[in-house]
Amino acid sequence: MMRILKSREFLVLVLLGVMILGVATVNRAVLYPITLINILNSSIFLILLAIGQMFVILTRGIDVSVGAIAGIAAVIFGFALNGGVPLPLAMLAAMLTGVLAGAVNAVGVVLVGIPPIIMTLSTLGIFRGLMRVLTGGSWIEQVPQSIKAMSVTRVLSVPILVWATAAVIIVAAILLARIKAARSFYAVGDNREGAYLLGLNVAGTEFAAYALSGLFAGMAAIVFVAQIGFVPMQTGQGQELKAIAAVVLGGVSLMGGTGNIWSAVIGALFLTTVDSMMIFLHVPGSWNNAVAGAVLLAVVVADYLIRRTVRNRQLVLRAAELRRADADAALGREVAP
Amino acid sequence: MTLPGWLRSWEAMLAVALVVEIAVLGMISPAFLNIENLLFSTSDFAHVIIAAVGLTLVVITGGIDISGVSVMGLASIVMGLAFVAGAPIGLAVAVALATGLGAGAFNGVVVARTDVNPLVITLATLFLFSGIATGLPTLLDLLGFKAYGAGGFEAYQYEGITGLPKSFTWLGTGSIGWVPLPLIVTVMVALAGGALLSRTRFGRFLYFIGVSADVARFTGVPVRRTLILVYAFNGLCAAIAGLVLTAYFTSARSDLGSEALLNIITAVVLGGTSIQGGSGSVLGTFLAGLVLGYLRQGLLALGITSDVVPVIIGALLVGSVALKIGSAALAMNRANRNALETGRRAVEETVARP
Repeated sequence: MMRILKSREFLVLVLLGVMILGVATVNRAVLYPITLINILNSSIFLILLAIGQMFVILTRGIDVSVGAIAGIAAVIFGFALNGGVPLPLAMLAAMLTGVLAGAVNAVGVVLVGIPPIIMTLSTLGIFRGLMRVLTGGSWIEQVPQSIKAMSVTRVLSVPILVWATAAVIIVAAILLARIKAARSFYAVGDNREGAYLLGLNVAGTEFAAYALSGLFAGMAAIVFVAQIGFVPMQTGQGQELKAIAAVVLGGVSLMGGTGNIWSAVIGALFLTTVDSMMIFLHVPGSWNNAVAGAVLLAVVVADYLIRRTVRNRQLVLRAAELRRADADAALGREVAP
Repeated sequence: MTLPGWLRSWEAMLAVALVVEIAVLGMISPAFLNIENLLFSTSDFAHVIIAAVGLTLVVITGGIDISGVSVMGLASIVMGLAFVAGAPIGLAVAVALATGLGAGAFNGVVVARTDVNPLVITLATLFLFSGIATGLPTLLDLLGFKAYGAGGFEAYQYEGITGLPKSFTWLGTGSIGWVPLPLIVTVMVALAGGALLSRTRFGRFLYFIGVSADVARFTGVPVRRTLILVYAFNGLCAAIAGLVLTAYFTSARSDLGSEALLNIITAVVLGGTSIQGGSGSVLGTFLAGLVLGYLRQGLLALGITSDVVPVIIGALLVGSVALKIGSAALAMNRANRNALETGRRAVEETVARP
């Protein structure tokens, strides 16, 4: 219990609650259930991207191409739907596109040894370019409107897309916590050489991380298309940075080895909520990025300060202990002879 | 086949690549080879090289600064707002440059004083600075200050702050003789960056920190001060890039340069600077920037749509890094084999001797 209370996810969750309550003192409308449901609804795209990103960052990599992967998966999804492919197959195609795109990143990073940021920055350009080449630069507009049903249909007044995402989150969280192989992500990120010496499949783990990142980007693409009903060229643009920000905000370290699904979920939820809160405070939307940036900066710096204080206190205690031991030893010598 | 050392350097390969590229593109489309065209097309990508020079110094320390693209827009909008507020254009430019310097120094202070990954810090400030840049005009307008220039809000949304004086836009559109001013500014920034890097103690410190910040600190290098200064220099470069772009487009906008991130990092990495720090050169970045810029121009001149260009640039970046990794592995292999041969020969000689 104490561990949960001390965790970064919990800190950000508290901040999130404080922020919502604080805004509620100005504008009560924030606390209407429908408002909160809408915030949830608009955050699932970023949540999915962030979860995928988290797997890569766990292994000490980074994937700045997730937004572009979501873009290209959305295009394939749109093509499939327009080509008369049944919905489940089209969704499969979108996710497969994501996995393939993630595998391209993995080949560069794992097999060739290109630094992750360089590899994924390149594929960011490549996927985004391909997306425009595939569509000729125009939006895919005539997506069958049946797809929109997914985002409009509500169960218990919550859109089924939100339920579906929640199910994905819970399944992923359980798998990550309970499956033995999932611990490889932590081991590889924490100590790559150590994991190798233990006989873990390091290359396979890293490969899986990038493929999973692509898979979740593919799912995010399905959510995006379902929610807005067409595929604009800007799909996912700039979202890769938001996804990284969300994951880091939630407490996943870029040094690898720490973090879990909830970090990604809460971080993404926080960033989306900031955007919504601005509306309720009647702050022009142009300030959204400034607030998101300031919050991220404040949280990581505060985290550093807390860690430093804790470490310093431990050092002071240890020093005192050593001094006492020294004094005891000196006393012992005086008595002994 | 052994070439003299300087010819085998990455910079020399880039120079050859540049010449070959221009020649090939010129053969396919002769209009491209026109000197005037070659010189003036640099104005389209001068801002990328200017920003990349600053980033090169940062990457050499093992850090990274992705917020430069936001600083470009911030400097641009600050300059425009100062001008609209009635400041003389010289002062407006000075304020914008100071803003860039300050923004960079802010990054530097956080990077130097915490152990948080520079990528995270500058990701946060990327959002922060771009948010301030887009928010500033609305804030000033709210305070009853006519921030949008002559055309009001509608015009501002479409074209930014226009009506900048000729003496300023000359910086982006003018030329001295045959040489356009953006290119002159770029060369000056590159010379300054190159001199800092290879002619000053500060420059040696940058490499030292990139190799090992801990060893540098134990040796007495003022690591924190050096880091703050190098991020500040990068902010200044980004601000200069933003102003050059503002002058070239003749309007101040908060979103100027926001798509340049891929190109800037590509120029730095293609220029031979290791993303892990410890090695790199401004000359390499400058040449890589030219290679990339002309490649884009050439592809467009050949009728390839601008959609395909990022695909090619991305592939080029991956290809060049893979090539470097591959050649390093080959060189390591050869060195190992040579060492083995030498060792075996020595053993055989000892055995053969009675």
